Parts: sequence; structure tokens; C-alpha cells
Amino acid sequence: MSKKKKVSVALTRRDFLTLGATAVGSVLAAQVFTTGPLSPFSVLKQQQIEGATEPSIGHGAAGKNHWGMVINLDKCIGCEYCLRACSATNDVREDMAWNVVTKEKNSTGRTFFFSRPCLHCQVAPCVEVCPVRATYIREDGLVVMDYERCIGCRYCEVACPYDARKFNWEARPDEENPYVPTWGIPEVERRPRGVVEKCTFCIQRIDKGLEKGLVPGEDMEATPACVNICPVGARVFGDLKNPESQISQVLEENSTIRLREELGTEPSVYYIPPKEGL
Amino acid sequence: MASTVMDQRKLSTWKPNSKLWFLILGLFLAIGLTSAAVVFWNGLIVTNMSDKVPWGLWITIDLSSIALGAGAFTLSAVVYLFGVKQFRSIIRLAVLVGFTGYTAALLTLIIDIGRPDRFWHPWFFWNVHSVLWEITWCITIYLAIMILEFLPVLVENKFFNRWPWIRKIAHVLHKAAPAFALAGLLISLLHQSSLGATYGIVKSRPIWFKPSMPIMFILSAVAVGPVLTMAVSYVIEWIKGVKLVPDQVKRTIARFGGFGLLAYAYLKFWDYAAVTYYGRTPSVSQSFFLLNQDTPYNFGFWFGEIILGIIIPVFLFLSPRTNKKPVYLVLGAAFAVLGVIFNRWNVTVSGLLIPVQYSPGITSLIEPGKYFPAWTEWGVAIGIIGYVLLVLTLGVRFLPLFNTDEH
Repeated sequence: MSKKKKVSVALTRRDFLTLGATAVGSVLAAQVFTTGPLSPFSVLKQQQIEGATEPSIGHGAAGKNHWGMVINLDKCIGCEYCLRACSATNDVREDMAWNVVTKEKNSTGRTFFFSRPCLHCQVAPCVEVCPVRATYIREDGLVVMDYERCIGCRYCEVACPYDARKFNWEARPDEENPYVPTWGIPEVERRPRGVVEKCTFCIQRIDKGLEKGLVPGEDMEATPACVNICPVGARVFGDLKNPESQISQVLEENSTIRLREELGTEPSVYYIPPKEGL
Repeated sequence: MASTVMDQRKLSTWKPNSKLWFLILGLFLAIGLTSAAVVFWNGLIVTNMSDKVPWGLWITIDLSSIALGAGAFTLSAVVYLFGVKQFRSIIRLAVLVGFTGYTAALLTLIIDIGRPDRFWHPWFFWNVHSVLWEITWCITIYLAIMILEFLPVLVENKFFNRWPWIRKIAHVLHKAAPAFALAGLLISLLHQSSLGATYGIVKSRPIWFKPSMPIMFILSAVAVGPVLTMAVSYVIEWIKGVKLVPDQVKRTIARFGGFGLLAYAYLKFWDYAAVTYYGRTPSVSQSFFLLNQDTPYNFGFWFGEIILGIIIPVFLFLSPRTNKKPVYLVLGAAFAVLGVIFNRWNVTVSGLLIPVQYSPGITSLIEPGKYFPAWTEWGVAIGIIGYVLLVLTLGVRFLPLFNTDEH
């Protein structure tokens, strides 16, 4: 009874073939997923090689500039000129303002005016959730939209912590823009029905300006419309990476805050709070 | 000519009752198609969604129908991976129900996105960091798996008599059923939880941003998906007047659903008590305050999700007095299904009604959002229900769903 049973592992030809096929299949699958044209990694790698002409969702400005803005809430008088110039320049629909101005109260009950463009987060929730990379962070830190690629799922709108995104619920054929021509002339095309849009820091001006050798934030032609029109100089625009730029000086001389900093979104827009505090 | 004669013969075997049924289905589909046409023509402006509440009834339908399609992967795994052979009698129906749910979700999604002409973009432009991208891929792959799983059943139809080679391929496919079941299990666990993560990762919305979201989504899907298949099989038996699936199998599924719902209930209380406690930032408290002030959130949660969706079905599925009577099991399944739909609606809409607050000041000038679906949205919903019922009807009519002599 105590005889040990001989255990024999019978490897049939069928088993052998199955194992072999599985092994080969796994290697092939691994190949396809890591190096093949279908691989997500190959896409990312390719972008790295090409110097990120179309950047991955990346974190922050990787290039030599990082465009940012300082808004001085102590200077702002709530005239809404920035809203109007923005809506004219970018041909924004009246009820879809990219740049909003609101009346707020601080803890002592004093009124101040608050305005908000897109904050161009360097860890942008909208960019992370987009299923088609229709919105992405450029080398210079700008969070931009590819209207040709957006499928209109509106997940970015849901994910934005600052309510900075607006969806085109209907087509805008020949409707009048009440801000044109008083507050500016449209420099970009109207967005089609079914895509999401948002503030671009007047990307068209920055890109054309740089081509001409201008400095965004110093030369008006290369600076966002809202900054140029502000009658009290409450908005400063420029390169956060250049310590000589006006914006860097302003940031050095003033204490500033960023919105919902606890979320870790690293916005490129800084606020100087009112003198009486918030 | 020949085909029309055959069609007539086929139709004439259908009872007047079934003609009435098809009339109703046709009406549902007509309503759905009309609403969809209005939406495509005018844009999403004809819905009641807005920039404040960008998602609504349609997303609720997507989430619910995918969750309720979970019976396919659960029962496939039970049969082909865990080797519980007695469930074979219901597996084909489970896959059909799953397929119907997933295609219903995709149909709704096509209408919901702003650019339906670009529906294919997620397959070509990848953002591997996006949960929504991952879900799109998982759903596509899983739909393919379900089609492959279902092909052998489809080609058993007389129509395929003339191409024997198709049957041969299908036979090989059927041999691979365990592999499909394994792939289906992995992919489904992935995307069923990612649907919860769609909400759980959104930092900007205080009541969504919690780690319990994916777990609750997946558990409710696994508990209720199979139960829906069970109820569908009962209803089919009542209509046809034949026994198709052994009662024992259906009762076991109901009991499984009951225990699954209990586990879900436990998770929900853990979420209610613990997760919410640890994550109770001022903005979370403020959100719940706003919700309770402006919406029937509490009622929806306690009545719709807990009492209707969990407590009553658990009682009906597990009490020895009720779980031997088919009527109670079907009733329990209906409540559990409603509970899942309630939950997905509550999660989606409640989270969006709370305005995003970003201003550094102390007064909130942003009004809470308002949302109730427009007629176009209801119309599409009715159309989707019509589609689901039509696919199930045709499947039952033309396919050997309950062929138990499988080897």
C-alpha cells in the first residue's frame, strides 16, 4: 500500500503544439503591442523623435517659452472690456464668453471684480480626459483645441474645474456678433456645430507675432486682445520662463494666488488679490 | 418572387398578437428615428442639456445598458471558465442580451456626441491617458468578442444551409469559447469599472471624486446583469408557453443576484459612511447641501437606489417564500434593473447640477444647474427601448437560443 505511485507527465503532441503556439503568440502579441504600428508606445515614441510636433498630453511647457497671465484683482474695475474685445477678436457667441467677468465679495463684504480666461493648466484635466487628443498642451504651455478632431463628447467640459469650456450646441450661420466691429475684428473662423471651444490666449497673434520676431506681452500685435484693451492695466501677459519679462517681474514683486490650487492643475494664470484681502 | 412568398409564409405563422407587438415596436422605432432626425438636423440644441449640465438622460442610458449587459460576460465565465455546465441552457440568451445592451449604448452614443461623423476618431487618434478612450476600445473589442461568441448560434439558422463552410468556421470558433470567455471577462472587468472611473477621476466635481466609484459600478453590473437575463428567459417562456431554461438554473441566478446585491449594499454603505467621511471637504458638504435643497436627491438615493434597487430585490431573491415563484423573481429583477438605472442617473445628473466653483470670492454667483430631459431625449430613449425589444424578439423568433444539446 505504501508503494509510491509513479507520476508521469504525459506531454502529448497536442499539448506540445498548444504550448508552442501560445508561446509564439505571446511573443508576437508583445511585439505588436510594444513596437508595431498599433502600439500606443510607438505613437508616443514617434512623437518624442519628431520633437513632439503634435505633443502628447504631456505635463507643462517643454519648450523655451511658457505663456502666462497675471490678473490684478485690485486694479480691475469690472468694465468688461476684456470680455468684449475677446468676443470680437475670436468671434465668440454672446452667451458662450471665453472670458467671463463677475462681481464678487471678499470676506469683509467689500465688492471686487473677478475675471477668468482659460487658465491653461499645465496638468490639465481636460487634456487628460479627451478620448481623441483633440485638446492638448503645446510646447509653449498653451492648452489648445483641434476643432477638426473633436468628436463633441463634452467630457472635457465636465472635467474642467474652472468652467472654461463651451460647447457649440447649434450651428452659427450668419448671426451678427454685437461686439463686431466696435470691439475688434474677428481673426479666427467660427467654430462648427458640435465641437467644444475655449480661450486660446489669442494663439493666432502669438504664433504670427513670433514669426515676425515680435515679443508677446510687449508688442501689442502679438498680445491677447483682453490684455491690450484693459484700460487700467489689470492684465499682464508674457513668458513665465523668461526672468526678464514683465510678467516675471510682476510675479516677483507681488504675492499671487492661483485658482483651486489644491487640485494640482498648475494654472498659467496668476491673480493678485485685492488690497483688503479675499 | 420566391423570397416574398417565403416571407409571407413565415409571417402568416405569426399570431395576430405578435402583429400587434410588431406594430408597437414599429411605433417605438418611429418615435426614436424621428427624434434622432430632429437632433441630427438641428444639433444638440434641441435637447435640454447645456454647458452647465452637458450630460443627461442619454449618458444614463449608455451606462445602464452596458451595466445590464454584464450578464453575458458573467455567465460566459461561469460556464466556460469555471465549468458550471448547467448554465449552458441560458448562455446564448445571456450573450444576446449583452449584445443588445452594448449596441444600444453605441447607438445612443452616436446620437449624443456633437460630431457623429467622427465616431471613429477614438480608434485612430489615441489618448492612452483617457478613461473614455479606454472604454471606447474595450466596448469595441468586447462587442467583437460577443459577435464571435454568437456567430455559431447565428449560423445554425436554416438560412446558412447553403454555405457549409461557414458552419465549419463557426464550429472552430465555438471551440474557442473558453478563450473568448476569458478575454471577455478581462475586458469587461476593465471597462465596467472604468465607467465608474469616468466619474471617479474628475477632480473638479466634489461628489464624484472618490475611489469607490469604479467598484460600485462593477459590482452592481455583475449582480444585476445576470438577473436581467434570468428575467428575460422567464418572460420568453411565458410568451411562448414552453419551458426553455430549467427553473433550478434561474433560481440559482436569482440567488446569486441576491447575494451580489447584498455585497453591493455593503459597498454602498461603506461608501456612504466611510468614503464620504474621509472625503468630506467643505465643497462636498456644500454640494450635498445644494442637492438636498434643490433636488429630490435624498429621496432618489434612499428610495430608488436602496429600497427599490437593493432591499426589495434581495428579499425577493433570497427569501424561500418568494424565490420559488417566477413572478416574484421577475418582479425583483425589474426592481433591481430600475435601481441600477436610478443609480446611474443619480450619479450623472446630481454631480453636474452642482455648479463648478472656482472664484476666490466668498459669494457664489453661479446658479445650480437645472436639467430635465427634453422630448427629443425621451423620444430617442423610447426608440432605443424599441430597438432592444426588436432585437430580442427577432433573436427569439429566428435563432436557436435554447438549444441545450451542446457538447
